[in-house]
Amino acid sequence: MSVLSSRSDRRKRTAPASGLTTPMIEIDRVSQTFQTSSRKDHLALSDISLRVEDGAFVSILGPSGCGKSTLLYIVGGFVNPSQGTARTKGRPITGPGPDRGPVFQEFALFPWKSVLGNVMYGPRQQGVKPAEAEAQSRVLIEMVGLKGFEDFYPKELSGGMKQRVALARTLAYHPEVLLMDEPFGALDAHTRTRLQNDLLNIWERDRKTVLFVTHSVDEAVFLSDKVVMMTQSPGRIREIVDIDLPRPRRRTELLLDPRYQKYVVDIERMFDDTGEAEVLP
Amino acid sequence: MISGRALVSRAAPLLTCLGLFVIWQVGSLALKNDSVPTALEALRAVPTIMGDKESLINILASLRRMAIGFGVAVLLSIPLGLLMGRNRFVASFFNPLLMVIYPVPKAALMPIIMLWIGVGDLSKTLVIFLGVSLPVIYHSFEGAKAVEEKMLWSGAAMGLSAAERMVRIVLPAALPEILTGCRTGLVLALITMVTSEMIARQSGAGNILFNALDMGQYDTVFAMIIVIGAMGICFDALFEMLRARLVKWSEPQFDMPLSFS
Repeated sequence: MSVLSSRSDRRKRTAPASGLTTPMIEIDRVSQTFQTSSRKDHLALSDISLRVEDGAFVSILGPSGCGKSTLLYIVGGFVNPSQGTARTKGRPITGPGPDRGPVFQEFALFPWKSVLGNVMYGPRQQGVKPAEAEAQSRVLIEMVGLKGFEDFYPKELSGGMKQRVALARTLAYHPEVLLMDEPFGALDAHTRTRLQNDLLNIWERDRKTVLFVTHSVDEAVFLSDKVVMMTQSPGRIREIVDIDLPRPRRRTELLLDPRYQKYVVDIERMFDDTGEAEVLP
Repeated sequence: MISGRALVSRAAPLLTCLGLFVIWQVGSLALKNDSVPTALEALRAVPTIMGDKESLINILASLRRMAIGFGVAVLLSIPLGLLMGRNRFVASFFNPLLMVIYPVPKAALMPIIMLWIGVGDLSKTLVIFLGVSLPVIYHSFEGAKAVEEKMLWSGAAMGLSAAERMVRIVLPAALPEILTGCRTGLVLALITMVTSEMIARQSGAGNILFNALDMGQYDTVFAMIIVIGAMGICFDALFEMLRARLVKWSEPQFDMPLSFS
């Protein structure tokens, strides 16, 4: 029996395969204005509408400063949009909740808790009994490849390991949606590749809905079913590209796949046309 | 086995003290002044003080005031500092107030406090309380302000309410900084304890010291300074041991001597 939510398995079996169902996430004409230090209003997001279906892996791709993280924070309920509404399963989002689990670039682990303590935190908060929470957490820690590090403190771990803990900590409370905010952005190339592979392997087990923010074209195409391309100031959706590549995906196979290469090149060209040169290949 | 090097670094604080006493002894012998007793004379007076029932009652009364003043100050200052760090309105309300009080030597308030509430325990404890409060508030404030927003968001996503986030995320995350403030506060408690007794002469360790000074018993004066200094070192070392245990998770990973650091 997997510790990963069996709720999502049931959900998938019963969900009809039509586009008429309520989407897992629905962003409806959302705009976001910030006040800059010079008291001027800065339009960060302009009129964004997006539907994310249950079980889809969707990446939001754009140059830095295009508001893609802000969009994720709105779905998380951490930021209230200036205009428009975001909904999850049809209900308007009014604040954070355990149905939407964030994973941040900064890891945001609790430094005073051990690896096990961090992963157990969510289940304990949800009233799971200590012994049960611990057992579940140990399975998750093993799943993210950190068996043997249960009693380590975050300061004793490398960046890649910290992000593995952060992922396990979020998976532990069974969110229906994973909100990943450039989770591998602070890692070196090698670690990044390994974590991408591991994330896909973990995701294949129960196919949670994932909203994944990145500025790497390569990463977005490799991971996603859908890539939402955004443009800069104000942040707008430029194009939504369906990535029609077979799963499960193996990085070493994909890199040689002409279809994969074409997606990457096409997306890069589109960004070139708009002069969005900051997007990394 | 302890290596020679480790032995030297362990013994270093003791060697420093010893060196200080040697310089004192030699210096006082050279000066030949009544107001500068030799180190040995001062040290010889220490057991006399510690063996005297009257003196012990005085010192214990001091310590009791210090403990109460410090304890109450810490219990009130930490929540206030944390609230200030996380809430702009609380901060803008209290900040100007604290900025006015911070630079004022708390002992300078002693005459006014004596005028209002007398020279008893309450006024002295109040001065200690004031002395300890400010560094603890300040460090709690800074610690709470520095707590990573994303950490609080992670907690919110797990379903922690605002109050729960305060107690279960802001407090532990700010703890290293809070304890730095408490350590400063502990030393200040000792200082304000002595100065308050210097101004309101009635009982206490400071009272023994200044009475001896009035009567020209200079060996007792210096012995009391040694006693007070030793108390300071002991409190600081004990607190540092407690602190190191509580925030083990945040310490850099190399060994430092427990105290004197």
